[in-house]
Amino acid sequence: MPELRFAGVRKDYGPVQALRGFDLAVADGELLVLVGPSGSGKSTALRAAAGLEDVTDGSIHIGARDVTRVPAAQRNVSMVFQSYALFPHLTVAENIGFGLRARGVARDESRRRVAHASETVGCEKLLDRKPFELSGGERQRVALARALVREPDVYLLDEPLSNLDAQLRVQVRSELKLLHQGVGTTTVHVTHDQVEALTMGDRVAVLRDGIIEQLGSPTEVYRRPANRFVAGFIGSPAMNFLRGTVDDGAIRIGAVAIPHRVERLPGGRQVEVGIRPEHVELADDGLPAEVALVEMAGSETFVRLTADGAPLVARVPPGQSVAPGSNVRVRIPPDRVHLFDAQTGERLG
Amino acid sequence: MLRDRERRESLLMLAPYVAGLVALVAVPAAITLGLALTEYDLIRSPRFAGFENFRELWDDTLFWTALRNSLMFILFAVPLRLAGAVTLALLLHRRFRGVAAHRTAAYLPSVVPDVAFALLWLWIFNPLYGPLNLALDAAGGPTPSWLTDARAAQWAVIIMSLFTIGEGFIVAMATRQLIPGELYELGAVEGARPLHMLWRVTLPLMAPTLLLLLFRDTIFSFQASFVPALLVTGGGPEYATTYLPLFIYRNGFEYLRYGYAAAATVSMFLITAVIVYVQYRIVRHWRRAFVV
Repeated sequence: MPELRFAGVRKDYGPVQALRGFDLAVADGELLVLVGPSGSGKSTALRAAAGLEDVTDGSIHIGARDVTRVPAAQRNVSMVFQSYALFPHLTVAENIGFGLRARGVARDESRRRVAHASETVGCEKLLDRKPFELSGGERQRVALARALVREPDVYLLDEPLSNLDAQLRVQVRSELKLLHQGVGTTTVHVTHDQVEALTMGDRVAVLRDGIIEQLGSPTEVYRRPANRFVAGFIGSPAMNFLRGTVDDGAIRIGAVAIPHRVERLPGGRQVEVGIRPEHVELADDGLPAEVALVEMAGSETFVRLTADGAPLVARVPPGQSVAPGSNVRVRIPPDRVHLFDAQTGERLG
Repeated sequence: MLRDRERRESLLMLAPYVAGLVALVAVPAAITLGLALTEYDLIRSPRFAGFENFRELWDDTLFWTALRNSLMFILFAVPLRLAGAVTLALLLHRRFRGVAAHRTAAYLPSVVPDVAFALLWLWIFNPLYGPLNLALDAAGGPTPSWLTDARAAQWAVIIMSLFTIGEGFIVAMATRQLIPGELYELGAVEGARPLHMLWRVTLPLMAPTLLLLLFRDTIFSFQASFVPALLVTGGGPEYATTYLPLFIYRNGFEYLRYGYAAAATVSMFLITAVIVYVQYRIVRHWRRAFVV
């Protein structure tokens, strides 16, 4: 399976730069997730790879082929759209086989491949139905089967799970991952859902304003975010941030000093201290905080606090009793702290 | 309670339309139906004549000529008008520089008053100084005597009708714009050629609206021939452009045979209904074959 490579891709819409020097190599057989907020350029990148958007500058390669100016039809990619883009007047079988018939594949061969693809995604019993007779999940399967049936070089998935309800999304997420493991085709999956990105991707590229802020494995991106943006975007609930000042080998937050191991940080420097909710401990000593809200979420409980004037979320075991309005103390383990430059947002250390 | 109030308000809002419909369509239609069974010349009181007018129509060669002319007009004008409206819609549904001017140009002939439109074409078709024949002559083509040759006059009326397709164009364009762009993007990725997309996606998805336009245009075309036939060709030469509406008009308003004209009107209504029904059956079958 060929790799997909973006080299210095720029895409301008008038004065707006959707992609700014976008460099990315998706390895053979890899499932790479592009994640970012709305307007970050992730869908533009995907559409550029599909040939649905001309790029302003840079190049796109699929394997050894430079496809930058190659029409979409000749790129040998398949795409799954957010809306699934099923033809409402065609049956499921006709929808799945649409690309095959358009490319002149014989009717018998097309029928055989449609049957195989529909079995792979589990929609073989729906072949005679029309899209309006299908549920959201079934439509999604049909769109996937249509992408699979041509056996393309690259799959491009544009937020394919966003129209599903929460329960179904979790189920289809796993199925998609298993499906990818089965077919092993290079895949780019676009989503704004960071949980989806972490659970599905072999690697995750976090985008903002048309550039990749961080590219790495889900573990790397979660455990060692490259900057404050990635740290805040990846993780649910989001990472907590507190303003701190470097003071003689420690970071001072209010009256509390947290030792740090980052060398060459001059005294008095302003930093952002990041701490994930699961690492915030309610203890007998530490930063004084007031409990604003307690949210029970089944296997875990989230406590929303105000500490040193800043909002803070702590994840505590479900048995721990905390009363809204009470005053507690919050301990921040030094080895769990992420430090970011207060001005640039870049990671320190 | 709220439902009752809503219903009352709805009926109140509907009332002017219903009143107009009753006064201007239902009552005249009922009177026409009654008049068709009478002999009436506006001077003496109507005299009941049973189906005598219909029997006379059956034997009237001019009625059959007018009917044949009308059917031929519909046979050529309706498909051409529909094809024109759909072609314009497919060309102009996208946004591009100057599209508004193009759309206006496509719609404009439909808002020109019928009489002004007819007089304009009288000039265009003039065999000596009309721009159409001047252009044809310059291109080395034939220069028909548009208004004095029977076959050419029939084509002249059809050609005139091809420019008043603004409403069909607007409806077809709105329908085309409702087809999601992602379907075409998917087609592009899947390698479908434009003609494949037109045949397999665009036309089937527009088919319900096109069907409606077809029915509407058939009904409309029966009547649309009236003004050009009256003002441009005068129903001639040799009755070649005497269509049913002109036949009815002359019997009613020139020969003062209101009962006879009413019988012809009722016949035209029944013929229109039969044509629309046959079209419906054919198109339903065709559409099924089209999309599978």
